[in-house]
Amino acid sequence: MTAGAPTTVGAAGQGVAEAPQPQPVLRVSDLSAFYQTHYFGIVREVRAVDDISLHVLPNEIYGLAGESSCGKTTLIKTIAGAIQPPLNVVGGSVKFDFRGQSINVYESTPEERNAMRWQHLSYIMQGSMSVLNPVRRVRHSFVDFAFRHIGRSMPDFLDTVVGHLERLHLRADVLDAYPHELSGGMRQRVTIALATVCRPEFIIADEPTTALDVVVQKGVLAMIRGIQREIGSSLLFVTHDLSVHANLADRLGIMYAGHIVEEGPTAELFASPRHPYTVHLIGSLPRVGDAAPKKGLEGVPPNLADPPPGCRFHPRCPLAMGICSRETPVMEWAGPGRRVACFAAEKGITA
Amino acid sequence: MQSINVYIVKRLGQFFLVVFIGINIVFFVTHATPIDPVEHSIMAAAMFGSTSPEAINMLREALADLYGLKGSLWDQYWTFWKRIAVADFGPSVSSFPTPVSTLIGRAIPWTVGLLLTAVIISWVVGNILGGLAGYYRENRLLKAAGVVAMGLHPIPYYIIAFVLLIIFGYLWPVLPLGGGYQRNMTPGWNLPFIGSVITHGFLPALSLVLVGFGAWFMGMRALVSNIVTEDYVVYAELAGVDRNRILGSYVMRNALVPQITGLGMSLGAIFNGAIITEQVFGYPGVGTLLVSAVHAGDYSLVIGITTISIIGVAGAVLVIDLLYPLLDPRVKIG
Repeated sequence: MTAGAPTTVGAAGQGVAEAPQPQPVLRVSDLSAFYQTHYFGIVREVRAVDDISLHVLPNEIYGLAGESSCGKTTLIKTIAGAIQPPLNVVGGSVKFDFRGQSINVYESTPEERNAMRWQHLSYIMQGSMSVLNPVRRVRHSFVDFAFRHIGRSMPDFLDTVVGHLERLHLRADVLDAYPHELSGGMRQRVTIALATVCRPEFIIADEPTTALDVVVQKGVLAMIRGIQREIGSSLLFVTHDLSVHANLADRLGIMYAGHIVEEGPTAELFASPRHPYTVHLIGSLPRVGDAAPKKGLEGVPPNLADPPPGCRFHPRCPLAMGICSRETPVMEWAGPGRRVACFAAEKGITA
Repeated sequence: MQSINVYIVKRLGQFFLVVFIGINIVFFVTHATPIDPVEHSIMAAAMFGSTSPEAINMLREALADLYGLKGSLWDQYWTFWKRIAVADFGPSVSSFPTPVSTLIGRAIPWTVGLLLTAVIISWVVGNILGGLAGYYRENRLLKAAGVVAMGLHPIPYYIIAFVLLIIFGYLWPVLPLGGGYQRNMTPGWNLPFIGSVITHGFLPALSLVLVGFGAWFMGMRALVSNIVTEDYVVYAELAGVDRNRILGSYVMRNALVPQITGLGMSLGAIFNGAIITEQVFGYPGVGTLLVSAVHAGDYSLVIGITTISIIGVAGAVLVIDLLYPLLDPRVKIG
């Protein structure tokens, strides 16, 4: 079920010849996940993830960008199979392929998903300051999370963990510390060690450095990248901070109001953004020597419970045309490895 | 290690300060009451016949000495502390000349036995069920337990006690109505006597458990439903850690910290006795003793019981404080 070409429906022109590529580790097809609530007979639906397709290749860092409340965290929660009502998947599929061992997240049993977790798929969470159990020593977290996957005797296992900690420049005695005894940067590195100790094929990182100051952030990012290259995992990296993406991601997906609106190799995306939203995001980054005041984008992201018809960006879009408020643009190939969902971009108009 | 020593010394200091202030209040409040135990006893003695004024004066002297009421207020204060140091509260006024310490000593095993059992059972059952109910929110059996706990909790205690008495003592008379043990038995460590103590203690204990259980249950359930949304729990779930392990060492471990404090407070309050329980079931404990002491204006007995319960509450809080760093490592630095 994982063999063959991408099964994306929205991606028109998928037959376009491309260089033969390795099998993707993650393939998300037409995924929709809504927050559905029924109170007093009134049904409310927040369309936080709406018809999203993407894939991540082995050993690749895929960056997911977008402003707050555009559905980034919901998307990766859905990908990780970590959703709870009121969030429900209403369509599409999430498939992982871990070196021949494939799993369809929403057609598998909880036991199968639990067996996959941490050994193949791990997670670096938003707010890493508080992801460790405050009343137990760090050692217990490693034992609880990783021991059953590594399958060695306890002393051997702890040796492995210590060896792994050294890669992240952590001393063995952090294992005997309580989380509150570690500094923010150390705690962050412990979390990275925890997420990578089983050498998983796929790591999801949700704003892992947002709470850190810029200097520590740089070191931590370098460490994430180093360890990812070393164990050859794929990384799905989420942050609203485009400058982090510029340094880290191989490919970048831009999210707006529950849709991915543009996708492409990071360097190309920064050099020639197609979607007017991407143009604005990149234009808002400060540049050395550029003293001109930055222009903000008018308006606010739409209410996802009642999104505007057609393209969700059109009320704020400087290039909006008549068609934009009537029809929803689909993600279309726009050059090698690039996709964009915009009627204007299709016609070659850029902001 | 240094900080833990400082912590222990601080807590010990706090304990002694609380006990000192509490006992001072007991001393001054009892000395401010209009009841004069000496006159009270003389009146009781004079009822049995006419006594000469000289004899009464001698009696007054002797009684004042016995009750520690000789000399100025300052002298009395000193005597009071000297006596407390050796747990001597003088003779009881109402059951003269039995010493107060003997009366309390007789009542305490009953009260402590009953309340310790009831508090610990309701704490353990309430916390375990409450924790499970907060974590496995879809489980029907646990939902039903929640309804029972919520239903029982607001019922006034004495109503539950009377309903139990009516059901098990009258409608279906399988359990004794009152007392600590069967009246014609001699107390001792033999099976029939212990059996009798258990059957007599069963209803009072059950009534206390039914009432106490609800509070622990709901407290724990509320704590757990907060903790399950904490990042460290969500993260462990994402990692596929076994759910029972998450409940035990992530959720309950963290929820237990405030619950242990509550347990300490309830354990300290044991020495006050359960006044209503002991009255309803005619249980020979400290609560019954305290009520009769107040009715009889038994000054020395009230002082004795109050002092013991001050030390009991402060002691329980001290023990809990000393156990805290073992439960929550973050306490040490605070």
